[in-house]
Formats: sequence, C-alpha cells, structure tokens
Amino acid sequence: MKLYEYEGVELFKQGGIPVPDFAIATTAEEAREKAKAIGVPLIIKAQVLTGGRYLAGGVKTVSALDKVEETARRILSSKIRGFPVNKVLLAANVDVFREYYCSITIDDYRGTPLVIFSAEGGVDINQIAQEKEEAVVQRAVPISRGLTISDARRMCRQVGLRGKDLDTIPGILVNLYQVFRNNDAILAEINPLVRTKKGEYVALDSKVEMDDSGLYRHTDLGLDQLERITNPLEKAGREIGVSYLELDGDIAIIASGAGLGMASMDIINKRLSAANFLETGGAITEELLYKVMGLVFKKEGIRGLFINVYGGINPIHEGAKGIVRYIKDHNITIPVVAKALGNHQEETWEIFKANGVHVTSGVSTEEGVEMLVELLGAKR
Amino acid sequence: MSILLNKDTRVLVQGITGRIGRVQTQWMLDYGTNIVAGVTPGKGGEEVEGIPVFNTAKEAVNETGSEAVVFFVPAAAIKSAVIENIDAGMKLLVVVTENVPIHDAMEIREYARGRDTTIIGPTTPGIITVGEAKMGIMPANMFTPGRIGIISRSGTLSYETSINLSTAGYGQSTVIGMGADPVVFTSMPDILKLFERDPDTDLIVIVGEVGGIQEEKAADYIDRWVTKPVVAYIAGLNAPQEKKMGHAGAIIRGDGKGTPQSKIAALNEVGVDIARYPAQIVDLVSEHLIPN
Repeated sequence: MKLYEYEGVELFKQGGIPVPDFAIATTAEEAREKAKAIGVPLIIKAQVLTGGRYLAGGVKTVSALDKVEETARRILSSKIRGFPVNKVLLAANVDVFREYYCSITIDDYRGTPLVIFSAEGGVDINQIAQEKEEAVVQRAVPISRGLTISDARRMCRQVGLRGKDLDTIPGILVNLYQVFRNNDAILAEINPLVRTKKGEYVALDSKVEMDDSGLYRHTDLGLDQLERITNPLEKAGREIGVSYLELDGDIAIIASGAGLGMASMDIINKRLSAANFLETGGAITEELLYKVMGLVFKKEGIRGLFINVYGGINPIHEGAKGIVRYIKDHNITIPVVAKALGNHQEETWEIFKANGVHVTSGVSTEEGVEMLVELLGAKR
Repeated sequence: MSILLNKDTRVLVQGITGRIGRVQTQWMLDYGTNIVAGVTPGKGGEEVEGIPVFNTAKEAVNETGSEAVVFFVPAAAIKSAVIENIDAGMKLLVVVTENVPIHDAMEIREYARGRDTTIIGPTTPGIITVGEAKMGIMPANMFTPGRIGIISRSGTLSYETSINLSTAGYGQSTVIGMGADPVVFTSMPDILKLFERDPDTDLIVIVGEVGGIQEEKAADYIDRWVTKPVVAYIAGLNAPQEKKMGHAGAIIRGDGKGTPQSKIAALNEVGVDIARYPAQIVDLVSEHLIPN
C-alpha cells in the first residue's frame, strides 16, 4: 500500500528524520489558517498517489500569505493524472544548497533489505544511475543485523561525502532503515534529501510503500486502505477479498488463482477482449462467488463470462452453487463457460450443467475459451 | 526417486487440527504420503485421521523421526513456526500459507541460510512427487507419473500444465510450486539444479509469470549448467504496468523490470523453448519426448 507524502513525512518525523515544518489541509480556508504558523515562502503540494505532480501543476511555491488560499483552492480542485486532489501539504520553503537520494527497498531475489544512496538527488534514481553511476552506492543488508552507522558511513564515503555531510547523512540513513523495518515497508525513499544554504539537512519528499501482508501489525497508524483505490470496481473487489482489475474488453473472467487468471486473460485476448482480471484466492465459498458474480456484472456491457477454477484448496462445488444462484436471481442470459478441474470436479460440473452453464470437456484453458468463442459466434 | 520428496519421507503436518489442515491431511494420506505426525500447540495427545498430534515440532521429531513439514498455519504465526521446525532439524519445509509479511519472509530466509534445509513457499501449492507423495494442496487427479519436472510460480498453472501434459500422455516426476510472493525461500535456479541432477527427470518445464527476476536468473543458470531440455511459459503477456496481478510478486514495476518480454528474451537466448500459451507447452514437449 502506497502512503501519501504527508503520511510518509509523519513517519519520518517520528523516526527522527529532519523534515520541514508542515501542515495538512483539506480545504483552501484550512490551508490559509495553517499557513500562518509556517510562514512564507511556503510550498503547497497536492497529495496524490502518483508521480508527475510538478509537471501537472500540483506543486506551487507561495511567497505571500494572502495568496495561499487561492493557490490551495486551485490545486484542490485539480486532477493529477486522473487522480482527484483531496488534500494539500503545506511545507516551509528551504533554500537548497545540495540534493541527495536515500532509499531502503527490498532485493526480492536475494531476500534482503537493499540500501541505496546517491550523492546526487532530486531526479529519478534510475536516471542518476545511468548518467552518473559513480554517484550511486547500494548495499544489501542482513536483516538480523540491520544497517549500522558504520555501514552507512562507509557507503557515504564511497561516493565522496566529507565533513558535515559525513557527520549527518549516515544517521539519517540509519533512521530511514528503522522506519522501513518498523513499518513493514517495501520502500522508504527520500528524494531529495537536501542540505540547505544554512547547513541544515531536511527530507523534502517522502515515498513510502507498506507491505499489504504486514498492515495488520500497523492498525495504530489508522491508514485507510480502501480510500486509496480510485476504481470503484477494484475497491468493491478489495471489500469482498478478491483481486479485481478492470480492463477494456467485454469478456468477464473469474479464476481461482492469479497465474490462471493471467493465462486466461492472455488466451482470451487472442480472440476476444477481457473485461477484467479477477482471482478469488484460496477462500472460495458459495457466498463469495455469489458476490464475485455481482462484482463482474457491475461492469456494463459484459458479453460473455469465462470461469476457470481448480479444486485444490478451494471447494469449487460450493463456489459453483453461488455462481448458478446468481445466474438465476439475475436472469443472466449471456454465454457462460466453465472449466473446473480438481477435487469435486464431477459434482461441480453437474451443478453448472443443470443450470445452463456450459462446461468444457477439455482440460486446457484454450479449449474452454474456444467454446466461448463458438457460443458468442452462434449468438451473434 | 525424483527430488526432495518420496514415498518414504516422514512428513509432519503443522496445524493439523485446523479446518484446512484436517481436510488436506486426509487428501495427502489418500495419495500415499507417509504422514507420521501432526503439531498444534495445546492439542498434544489428540489424533487426526489416526495421526498422533504433538505440542511442538521437537517432540514430534523425537517421537516419530519426521524430517519434512507442511504448514497450514496463519500468516501471523508462520515465522515462529518455521524457525521452530528448522531448529527441530527439518530438512524440507513447505509453507502453503498466503500473505506472509515480506519482512518475516526475509527473516526466515536469513535464518535458514547455511543450514541444511530447503524451504518451499510462501504461497505455494506445495510439492508432489507423482505417484509417491504430496505435501500441499494440489488436486491429485491432475498428475500422472512420468519424467518431466515442473517448476511453477503459480499454483493453479502448475495444475493446468500437469493436466495438459497428463492428458497428452506425458507424465511428471516432481512438480513444485515455488511460491508466488516477491521473496521466496528457494529460487528457480536452486530447483533447476535439483532437476538437472535427478536421474528420473528428462525434461524441465518452467511456468513463470510477470514480476521479479526469477526467470532471468533461471536463464543464467540454464546457460551454464543445464543439459536437459527446458520448456517455459510466462503468464501475464497482457498485464498492465504497476498493477499487482493477484500475486504479491506479480507486478511490473515502473523501472521496466519483470516484464514477460524480458523473461522470454532471456530464456529464449539460452535455448529454452517458449510456449506463448499454456497448451503450447505440450507441443514443445512433444518435440523432445515421446509420450508414455
């Protein structure tokens, strides 16, 4: 789950990382009031879970208090790459002397935290790594030991930091590592970390992403996961506990696993066009699949439905009952094809067939999709 | 005898008294798995399907000599359960559990490093040595005995691939779900190494998906060490960027890593035959092997 900049800044502050004076506002009036305590010049930043805020006009510097309300109103009423702006961050302006980049992420393949530091910051790290490779240093850290201050100092020295930089920045890196560890983060990034003309160090931005599977340990943060999902169907999927992604086509997919869902999508898109990606995970019940049917038919213009399920951990015969009950309750007349294999497969086929669902006799997803193609052709 | 697991392997079921633990224990026993013990803290002395239940892994190992363990334990309890079982001397651990926090997975992986143990998962359907034993949740009727080894990142696609091959007359030696999380305990090259050495495996099938660099690392390994033919399919050709495709590990990040194109290119480069769609795996296999 991605955090808003202000939520990340709050975690940084609690973790001992220096941040500018800041406040958060949801209305222009609130921004005007809160700006007084920060003073001018200040920066007003749109809080959206996407990049490209500068180019979209979502970040503005204001040098007079009587301009705050107007600027905040303009940003709050705008959209950034399609995301509505519900909050703005007000932050004290600083005079930048030098910019750096710090991040802690995960080296998935090696299964360890990965610390990345760059003596140049402010732009995309991939770009820095390409253009100025010698400015970037990275280190995998054994998770039981963590990042020590001497590790961090060594990294900083490696890219040429000296003097006050070398006295201060390693401590910030260690604190960032702690923020990463303490919050089940998969990314904790400061870009840029700046040294001001006054010689102070400040994190001017935050990018924090938490592991969805670790969120249960952080309920105290009061973060609303659903509020972050802008697509209403994807949000509805999350609410019933399945993975749903809306796509452009008109053939709905219900799959009992992620790999199977992706393969179904790939195969359908050869001949037809998938309306969604949906995978139930391993907790199928009659009730869940009734709700899942409601979800896929919320999208307008569905022309066909392909069901692809395996009875491994899932009781697919129970799921079939939910599907056919929905078909009856809502008088679904479009072609529905099911491929159902594994434990309880015969029972599942009977339930489907008795209720007008076409069951492929083949064992491959391709054969099931072929059946749907033929049914759609016959219908046209 | 195929890899990691056979009919003699003495298996413990951790979480045997839970709803899923019970059902899956029954099915694993039906398949012929040599289950010798179960563990649920506080339920020591009970029996499930005639299998004795112990309070701790240590007790179970002492009493029954169990050497492999499959976990049906909630995500929040998995870290301590796995570490307890490593300490008890388990050689093979199969973590079926989904939604294990990544930080816990990293800690487990580091704990296991340098110890003589193999951990599969998390979010794996498990491992089946066909016709002998299975540790996990895979439906038994997908598989027939034979000489193809399968490594899959996806559980359901390991079933799909197996039933497609079985129907065409190509049996399997061992089928392993690696687990669908970003951080898994055993990598694709680790498993390739086992199949390459296994005298009962003639051909290896890789079922990959978008996200991560397992397939790219597998390509490096194949280039250097694998002499057996390899066939691969990568799911998610149509996956949009920055969207998690159900599995936590199945995400194409903004840096362009983890795309199906990069995986296909890497594998193709080292002579792996690439199936564009799952059923095509059978066609490619048929170029190397004759059916049973």
